[in-house]
Amino acid sequence: MLETDKLTKQFKDVIAVDDVSLVLMRGESVGLLGPNGAGKSTAIAMISTLMKPSSGDVRLNGKSVLKKPDDMRRVLGVVPQKIALYEELSAYENLKFFGRLYGLSGNKLEQRIEYVLELVGLADRKKELVKNYSGGMQRRVNLAAAMMHEPEVLIMDEPTVGIDPQSRNHLLETIRKLNRDEGMTVLYTSHYMEEVEKLCDRVYIMDHGKVIAEGTKEELKAILSDQETVLIEFDQNYPELFIKLSEIEGVQHSTIEEQSLKLIIPRGTRMLAALFHEAERYGAQVINVNVQTPTLEDVFLRLTGRKLRD
Amino acid sequence: MKAVFLLQWRRFYRKPMLVLAMFGLTVIFVSVTAAGGQSGPQMIPVYADESMSELQAQTWLELLNSGDQFQFELMAETEARSYVAEGDVSQAVNLLETDYRLLVGREDPARFALDSFLRRIYSEELRLENAEQTTPGIRGEMESALSDPALSLSVESLQGEEDSFQYNGQLQLLFGMTLFFVIYTIMFSLVRIVDEKRTGTWSRMIISPVRKWQMYLGHLGYSFLIGFSQITLIFLLFRFAFGFELGERFWLLIAIAACYTFSIVAFGLLIISLITKPQQLGAVIPIVATGMAMVGGAFWPIELVTNEILLVVSKALPITYGLQALTSVAVYGNGVQAVAMPLLLLLGFGSICMAIAIRLMEWRSSP
Ligand SMILES: Nc1ncnc2c1ncn2[C@@H]1O[C@H](COP(=O)(O)OP(=O)(O)OP(=O)(O)O)[C@@H](O)[C@H]1O
Ligand SMILES: [Mg+2]
Repeated sequence: MLETDKLTKQFKDVIAVDDVSLVLMRGESVGLLGPNGAGKSTAIAMISTLMKPSSGDVRLNGKSVLKKPDDMRRVLGVVPQKIALYEELSAYENLKFFGRLYGLSGNKLEQRIEYVLELVGLADRKKELVKNYSGGMQRRVNLAAAMMHEPEVLIMDEPTVGIDPQSRNHLLETIRKLNRDEGMTVLYTSHYMEEVEKLCDRVYIMDHGKVIAEGTKEELKAILSDQETVLIEFDQNYPELFIKLSEIEGVQHSTIEEQSLKLIIPRGTRMLAALFHEAERYGAQVINVNVQTPTLEDVFLRLTGRKLRD
Repeated sequence: MKAVFLLQWRRFYRKPMLVLAMFGLTVIFVSVTAAGGQSGPQMIPVYADESMSELQAQTWLELLNSGDQFQFELMAETEARSYVAEGDVSQAVNLLETDYRLLVGREDPARFALDSFLRRIYSEELRLENAEQTTPGIRGEMESALSDPALSLSVESLQGEEDSFQYNGQLQLLFGMTLFFVIYTIMFSLVRIVDEKRTGTWSRMIISPVRKWQMYLGHLGYSFLIGFSQITLIFLLFRFAFGFELGERFWLLIAIAACYTFSIVAFGLLIISLITKPQQLGAVIPIVATGMAMVGGAFWPIELVTNEILLVVSKALPITYGLQALTSVAVYGNGVQAVAMPLLLLLGFGSICMAIAIRLMEWRSSP
């Protein structure tokens, strides 16, 4: 129902979004993954008619929204990355205002406020001022405000940044419910891989303004299907040994951390003997060796050479 | 638009301190300072010498209170002295049988007026008493002659009223302070637009079906109304509670207030659109408000300014025209024709500022 066609945004000296084409089918839950500065927020700003693209198009049900943004504005709900609320007002007052913006009034407005508050689990604290809420509760109101007008498409820009695990689970649960039970189309942006794995049917991976991979979770993991990940933990850091190990034949990619080493190798490579042999030579103690099938995180690492989060 | 407008009132309800402070400051400033000026008759404590009887003292008091410049109050000497000692009044009068003494606490320009008033009353009365001893009944004759004059003269000035500078300190203070403090109220409420752009609620509105002009109108409407209400309430308060003489055409003062408020809303918006960093606004607003008030004549009458440059600058400031129009109506008693020009200037000035400001803001927010 919603698609972008070669969407591009150039600021003075950066191309923040470069030739991005996304598709959201009705009722789908799509993830948009990317590290800091990948261009996710900029893409969302253009999709939500907040910002004019330098080139490319955004279409809703086949019609361009650039000239006529009204249709899009009615059906779209956006949860901004920053908490965008009036903090000197209560949650109730905030929701009332955002509902009114969409022409809601009277009983209908009140009912909708009740429903949305119930949805995010804040019905009993609606009279409190937003500034007195915890970060997690503010995030929940931030979501609730985008839900006031029963949007058909909900775009969320990192809605779980900086919140406690409890609020986060609640939020994820809420989104899943909206998508599964109410058929709401969802575009979910995050750099938390596990959230996207949990919530989304399909994933786009962005880096440096470009979409570098797309597909269902399974399809993406298949990129690495002929590979496996070996995670080796040592008793301490051995810089020379780690480098040596990374250079063992067959290793396609390696990541060095404090006391551990992550190697991506072709499936079935026999390298453990060589590994222990080298460790012996450096007098290093291996605490744990773990062979895993790849996660989306590994896919990302492989594609960009970077981790999702620094 | 209604939603945006109503929201601002909700926010005012939740955070009213700033506006109330500006309102309060105006009232305190004007009432405290004006109390030292010529607001109504000044109270003068009076105490009698022991040599005087209660009745004699009362008779003197009635004579003294025949004028309306001062309000004399008879009291015990200790009470009168404590009034002066505590600085509540600048002076008190000690009545003697054929003379008086002034008890002076601090220098006050009114002392000379008081002294000459007392001297006149005393000498008239003493002369009358002398005369009565030689010609009994003269007092009664005099009184009837005075109340039924054979000839009455009325004096009219041929000069146009505008030409002579009339200074009404009380009203100058009231108008100056009101127009000055309301600049803060208006500009700080306009800063909300900048804040909304920063916090992201502005973006939320943009991606809703509400149009941009409705968003601006909601904000500007609120800023206008809050400023206009502040001026109107203060004028009402001082007219009815403090008894200030605001002239015959109160409604015209309110109309001037509306035009002035409009021009300040527009001017404030222009300032805000020129400042690129929101943090700077906290410093810029007081500078603009105070500077404008000084040059425009809110702190002292513009008639006292002789510097050519300042006079030229003052011609470009809405506050100059606001004050000019208010003074013209309240002090000189002029009507609509006399203030039509300043009002048109205010409206024109406002419209131009507004157009530039909105253009500038929109241009800046769309990279
Ligand atoms: N208004 C702007 N002017 C200039 N450059 C901008 C502007 N907005 C974003 N950028 C740049 O565009 C790039 C993409 O930014 P964007 O906010 O879209 O990334 P993001 O994927 O949302 O990152 P994050 O995960 O940190 O939110 C960045 O390099 C950023 O510096
Ligand atoms: Mg972002």
